[in-house]
Amino acid sequence: MSPVLQSPVLQSPGADHYSSLSWGAGNPPSGSVGSPPIWKKVLYEHQPFPDNYVDDRFLEELRKNIYVRRYHYWAVVFEAGVVIQQLCSVCVFSVIWWYMDQDLLSPQKLCGVGLALTLLGYLLFDAVDQGEGRRDSGRTHWADLKSALVFVAFTYGFSPVLKTLTESISTDTIYAMSVLMLLGHLVFFDYGANAAVVSSTLSINMAIFASVCLASRLPRSLHAFAMVTFAIQIFALWPSLQRKLRANTPWTYISVTFFFAIFAMAGLLSISSVGALLFFLLLLSVAFLCPYCLIRLQLFKDNIHGPWDEAEIKEDLSRFLD
Amino acid sequence: MVYRRHCSCTNPYSSATCDCHATPRFHSICMVSDFFYPNVGGVESHIYQLSQCLIERGHKVIIVTHAYGDRKGIRYLTNGLKVYYLPLKVMYNQSTATTLLHSLPLLRFIFVRERVSVIHSHSSFSAMAHDALFHAKTMGLHTVFTDHSLFGFADVSSVLTNKLLTVSLCDTNHIICVSYTSKENTVLRAALNPEIVSVIPNAIDPTDFTPDPKIRDRSRITVVVVSRLVYRKGIDLLGGIIPEMCQRYPNLHFIIGGEGPKRIILEEVRERYQLHDRVRLLGALEHQQVRNVLVQGDIFLNTSLTEAFCMAIVEGASCGLQVVSTRVGGIPEVLPENFIILCKPSVKSLCSGLEQAINRLLAGELLSPETIHRTVSTFYTWRDVAERTEKVCVYNRVAQEVVLPMDQRLERLVRHCGVVTGCIFALFAIVSFLLLNFLRWMTPDSSIDIAVNATGPNGAWLRQYSTERKHELTRKRDPDACKEPSDLSAEH
Repeated sequence: MSPVLQSPVLQSPGADHYSSLSWGAGNPPSGSVGSPPIWKKVLYEHQPFPDNYVDDRFLEELRKNIYVRRYHYWAVVFEAGVVIQQLCSVCVFSVIWWYMDQDLLSPQKLCGVGLALTLLGYLLFDAVDQGEGRRDSGRTHWADLKSALVFVAFTYGFSPVLKTLTESISTDTIYAMSVLMLLGHLVFFDYGANAAVVSSTLSINMAIFASVCLASRLPRSLHAFAMVTFAIQIFALWPSLQRKLRANTPWTYISVTFFFAIFAMAGLLSISSVGALLFFLLLLSVAFLCPYCLIRLQLFKDNIHGPWDEAEIKEDLSRFLD
Repeated sequence: MVYRRHCSCTNPYSSATCDCHATPRFHSICMVSDFFYPNVGGVESHIYQLSQCLIERGHKVIIVTHAYGDRKGIRYLTNGLKVYYLPLKVMYNQSTATTLLHSLPLLRFIFVRERVSVIHSHSSFSAMAHDALFHAKTMGLHTVFTDHSLFGFADVSSVLTNKLLTVSLCDTNHIICVSYTSKENTVLRAALNPEIVSVIPNAIDPTDFTPDPKIRDRSRITVVVVSRLVYRKGIDLLGGIIPEMCQRYPNLHFIIGGEGPKRIILEEVRERYQLHDRVRLLGALEHQQVRNVLVQGDIFLNTSLTEAFCMAIVEGASCGLQVVSTRVGGIPEVLPENFIILCKPSVKSLCSGLEQAINRLLAGELLSPETIHRTVSTFYTWRDVAERTEKVCVYNRVAQEVVLPMDQRLERLVRHCGVVTGCIFALFAIVSFLLLNFLRWMTPDSSIDIAVNATGPNGAWLRQYSTERKHELTRKRDPDACKEPSDLSAEH
């Protein structure tokens, strides 16, 4: 007999393997008088079985897929909205930069529209949850105004520096770096997943870095100022408004996402029709195909649990040290 | 040469099986693991004690591990147990780095010099153990593996290590696990046929762990914890149990032996609740100190989150303590119900378990330490372990099995481990086979000296010795022997 047989375990994802085992290995010794001895899962008794005996109760405590979540298609599509929004933000940002670079969009106009939309968003931000979030955090309007003023003043003051900051670096390097940073922004963005790679700080920093890189290639320092301010608006302020909209008025959120996506695509279409088509396909697959795949792949889930799993400490033990 | 007599039958280089294997009597066994003394732990003492008992049964045993600091080369421990400390680079957690190839020349020399017939590797965390298995299969030697730990299936790291274990064990002759839970775990992890996996528990030396009720302080209740202070041992839970129980019982004291990164939690708790006089942290304990700590207590507490066997609770029970433990891994299999109180791994459940034990203690319902010791000492002995390892299944059975020839081994790898992994490791197997042939051409087996057996030809010196001092020997089979290793003579 060959020492290792092809194992019947883990051959196929069928669920019956573990419960109905019939290896018939190391049969209990026959010939004992009376009822045959019953195998017990204990080590302290010397049992009349060989050491490699496999009982019918082998693996009886095995459980499969006990923590599996059931997903609903449209709920997953709704969650995918966050990814759509972020992809569109990056797209809109790049389009605006292209317009600025070509001098088709004046910085005054961008600043004006940006300011108007930010004020509108600011009002909405409080209106959506009737000021509940503000009461909880205890932050005043005055504090908001102060930080906004400080930020705008500093950006304006430093925009000539930004303009000349990367003069010694070749434009190709700048483009490559910006692409990398924007991709990084998308990867590390907090989409609501509880994973180790998520880091909203890193994500926002990468986006701002990309905006600084790109702004330095614009014609004048006012352009650079407009670009960095716009980056803050779209990468920092806009997602926090979205989060509130999503939590409080889901239908508004869906329509906002929809129109934002249309806007991003229209902007891209005015630059490159092929790009717009590819972007459209990307959004479509993220919104509808990926959720479908996620739900289909759940069927192949084969997660094994049993007494060998490391126990989890579920309670909060820090209370003993407070 | 006398010792050649049984070496000739264990020489696997001529053919995979030879007729003298039909009635094997003595084996030449090589234990391989990254973990051995001066490192301390369950695996280390397992290897040492098992080796001693196998030598006592007339086998030749050598141990191969990696160099620990300035401890390198060859050492002889009690009864001529020879230990090779190989100069291999340690990578992480006392485990060596592996390339599956670089240790082949060194290990081949040892296997040939010592005329090894069975390679017995220990611990799935040890890279060297897996390397040795790989080389042994290339050289056509019989292989046995003992798994000492449990592993989950859920995270990325366990998926990867389980795959490596599948590769390593798919053509290993026999596998030993220390508990039934561990067997289930290993069978699932490495996708094995459960027939080739035997369950042989760990053991303790009951003469090392004798109760001494006189030392106990009757005026107080003492709970003893002896464990490394790490997350997996549930020290966070212990940090919750101590204040809770100390508030309920004013005469309750804790003695905690062991060292580790979680010590800070216990110190903070002690500080926060002003328990300096009631919670004693002893720090790291030497093996021989453990018993003296255990006998001071009434109750032994174990808070492990995962455990394949848990020798600590057997040691506690052998010293006559009532054991309270979490119900995890193989622990429910280890002690009968009247010696252990099993709890869920939570502060609340463990506290109620301790309360139950204290109530029994106060009511005088606990069994006397002597009774517990007498019963527990019959459960697990190293002699029994060695006998089962040798006779009942493993070595004798393995020696009769055929080591897979190269073509079948490659086929097994590809078929059993999945196409991608299988092909990669099949390639490694081919490379190591070519390397082995190159080495055999460079230094033929016939030109390698045969090492003198430190137990004398056929263990003759040992037998003479043991008839003179047999009684003493059996009593003094303790691991401190390795602390004063009698370097008889280095061979190089």
